[in-house]
Amino acid sequence: MTPRLEGKNISVTFGDIFRKVEAVKNVDVSLEPGQTIGIVGESGSGKSTLARVLAGIQVPTSGQVTYEGANIWQGKTSYPGQMRRKVQMVFQDPYGSLNPRMRAVHAVAEAVTFHQKVVGNDAKKIAFDLLDRMGITQKDALKLPRALSGGQRQRVSVARALSANPEVLIADEPTSAIDQSAQSQLLSLFSELIADGLSIILVSHDLGVIRYLTDRVYVMESGNFVEAGDTAQIFSNPQMEYTQKLISSIPGHITKSR
Amino acid sequence: MSIKKFRRWMDEPGNSVIFTGSTMFILIVLAGIFIPFFYRFGPYDFVGDPLQSPSLEFLFGTDQLGRDVFSRTFHAVYLDLGVAFLGVAIPFAIGTVIGIILGISKNKRLVALISSIIDGINAFPLLILAAALIAFLGPGLGSVIIILSLTNWARYARIARTRAVVVSQQNYIEAAYTLGYPKRRIIRKHIAPNVSSETIAYALSDFILVILLVAGLSFLGLAATPPTAEWGAMISEGRAYIQGSPWVTLFPGAALCWAAISLAFIVEGLNRREGKI
Amino acid sequence: MTNELLVDIDSVQVSVKLSRTRRLQIVDYASMQIRRGEMMGLIGESGSGKTMLCRGFIGTLERRDAYISGGKILFDGIDLAKAKSETWRAIRGKRIGYVPQSALAGPNPVLTIEAQLLETLKNDPKLDRQAARKRAMELLDIVQIRRPDIVMKQYPNQLSGGMKQRVMIACAIALQPELIVADEPTTGLDVTVQAEIMKLLKDIRSEFNTSIVLVSHDLPLINDVCDRITVMHAGATIETLPSSEIENSKHPYTIALYKSRIDLAPPRGELITIKGQPPAVGGWQEGCRFNQRCDFVTDACLVGPHPKYIQLSQDHQTACINHASISDKVGSR
Repeated sequence: MTPRLEGKNISVTFGDIFRKVEAVKNVDVSLEPGQTIGIVGESGSGKSTLARVLAGIQVPTSGQVTYEGANIWQGKTSYPGQMRRKVQMVFQDPYGSLNPRMRAVHAVAEAVTFHQKVVGNDAKKIAFDLLDRMGITQKDALKLPRALSGGQRQRVSVARALSANPEVLIADEPTSAIDQSAQSQLLSLFSELIADGLSIILVSHDLGVIRYLTDRVYVMESGNFVEAGDTAQIFSNPQMEYTQKLISSIPGHITKSR
Repeated sequence: MSIKKFRRWMDEPGNSVIFTGSTMFILIVLAGIFIPFFYRFGPYDFVGDPLQSPSLEFLFGTDQLGRDVFSRTFHAVYLDLGVAFLGVAIPFAIGTVIGIILGISKNKRLVALISSIIDGINAFPLLILAAALIAFLGPGLGSVIIILSLTNWARYARIARTRAVVVSQQNYIEAAYTLGYPKRRIIRKHIAPNVSSETIAYALSDFILVILLVAGLSFLGLAATPPTAEWGAMISEGRAYIQGSPWVTLFPGAALCWAAISLAFIVEGLNRREGKI
Repeated sequence: MTNELLVDIDSVQVSVKLSRTRRLQIVDYASMQIRRGEMMGLIGESGSGKTMLCRGFIGTLERRDAYISGGKILFDGIDLAKAKSETWRAIRGKRIGYVPQSALAGPNPVLTIEAQLLETLKNDPKLDRQAARKRAMELLDIVQIRRPDIVMKQYPNQLSGGMKQRVMIACAIALQPELIVADEPTTGLDVTVQAEIMKLLKDIRSEFNTSIVLVSHDLPLINDVCDRITVMHAGATIETLPSSEIENSKHPYTIALYKSRIDLAPPRGELITIKGQPPAVGGWQEGCRFNQRCDFVTDACLVGPHPKYIQLSQDHQTACINHASISDKVGSR
């Protein structure tokens, strides 16, 4: 079975001749159809960079990214033509993810107009419906981003991404900047979307979130994959020391000393 | 809007100041539009004896040539404010566009070249630069507009460029690319509005500066020259008579202050609103 | 940990001045008691008022046009709600220390770590320059920074997030305060660093018998590390209980928070969420503010003022008027 999205020998190096930073060092990642994978690591591990490479926003220094077998890069453009809508991304920072001058419904309607070939009020209606499914009321949909909470902004971003009817959603730390209850709501939403057939690549430093959503997980440290495997396996039986360290740091595992 | 709502709006920090400033500005603009239209005396008519103090017949008195100061003061509105407006609007347009182009351009050489030109222009205080360039073009309000268009754009470009760089790195711009929107659209609908919001804010403050600049150059005889009814020129002409007939300089000076202060109030009010969010 | 009371917050209200005439209440009922040497967790969603309440503790409300509009904050007998600047100068930093949120503040970027610590230690008249420097090194050691001699000379931008927070903790404990207020000190830091910093705070608590107020929105973290927990919702404290008793909570909000923990949910299975959003400040409804989202709501919950604390035992208070019926439903958990 051809993997849906695959990265081979991906390396990303930043900097110039004086100082180089190897953010990602020669990793292989693959997403099978219907699968949800997680890339877990701490800050500086390179996971966000990798996510951006897979989304086509970052050009890898070397390596290849293919979607259903086809190279995503054509010259200087990534995901040319119809391919573009199939892989969408949701970013970490809810505060920078939305155009501050566009009301939520307009941001989504713009995406709907572009991808679903409807215009004007029809697009707006679809946008309202989509936002409603994400738990954003019509009243809130008419607001500017600054009037919405972090959790609501993330859901608007998801709605916007879904307007393109993607097959794969890459979510870069979607829950990091929001409240616990907003987190639960967002994760519940992701769970439903997965049940509806969406594949998600979840990048996070939060192991709880990874455990809840993913089938397979890649553990990343300093640009390398330290361990990879089925989520349940990794959590019950982590092999590598770094993985063990990560898991034991989850609150609940800290020894209670009084 | 009901009285109650209005009162509440005024209570918010900054809004009462914006209201005062806007009212003041609208008043002088309206005066500048309607008074010249309806008033019996023209700005260049010799209507009576020179240097008469303000009376019911000549509300602001007459100047040294027997012209009505009231009429002249309000005729000057469209010159002072109008020229200043053009002197801001044109640089704003040019500068914002150039700034955005520089901000998103990948051509490092081009950006470096134009940026150094911009920095070079910005290194000079505007008044000095303008005065120096008048020497080439000759005095006149038209010259002032041309000079401002050639130089003041650099200040806008600098602001626009920095802002464009910041904006293009924001997630929502990346999202726009990921969603497949064409670059043209992204620049037009997403980058430009978020950049121009910053340059428009600067334009408002700049407007105040340019009003004073135009009047100042005219005062020096470098822009509007006598017999033009323009505040700076009027103040300059009336200098000799300050001792005995202060109204000749007083009223154009007051009008100038009124215009500048009303705009300064608006800027202050906006700053207060901004700070409290 | 002794039973001696260090802090007694009683029915505190905090308001914000929006304009010359308009006021907004952001906390209208907060009660909490902290003993010497106790680690108290303060948990709530954003908008619950927890941060503003902490600012009441360290006296930075005025800078944000806020003030304590009711109630008492007794610190060792001194009412902080009525404290003037001289009182604050004697207390802030010296008897009450503060560790800010890691993402927002941090050590002064233009000072070396040494300068930063010396700045704080200046407030101790007993230390001369030599002694202060020595004490600074000691502090870096207490916060488990390796090679303090090198770190002393560095600038904050050369340090990682975790190290910067350790420096902030060092500043907070420098003058040996009796109480430390730590406002989301590990939010935004990696899990492994978070675990280390939590352990550090516990060690400091044990070694110096310092009381610590740990503010967070992360219930599992608080539950793991703190002795007792106080939960806030929409401007009111709604329950205080020992962390070991979390499963015997007698308030629906705490229960909901506890049950919605992600580690409880089966993979992609049912994730219990708390429906709706907390009411926004200024839009608080009558009765208990959780009544729109509560599974145990009754008619009595919809009217009247927000419930006050009901004492269930020495360590456990709740603001739910239906707490008795909650214990009947223990089996359904």
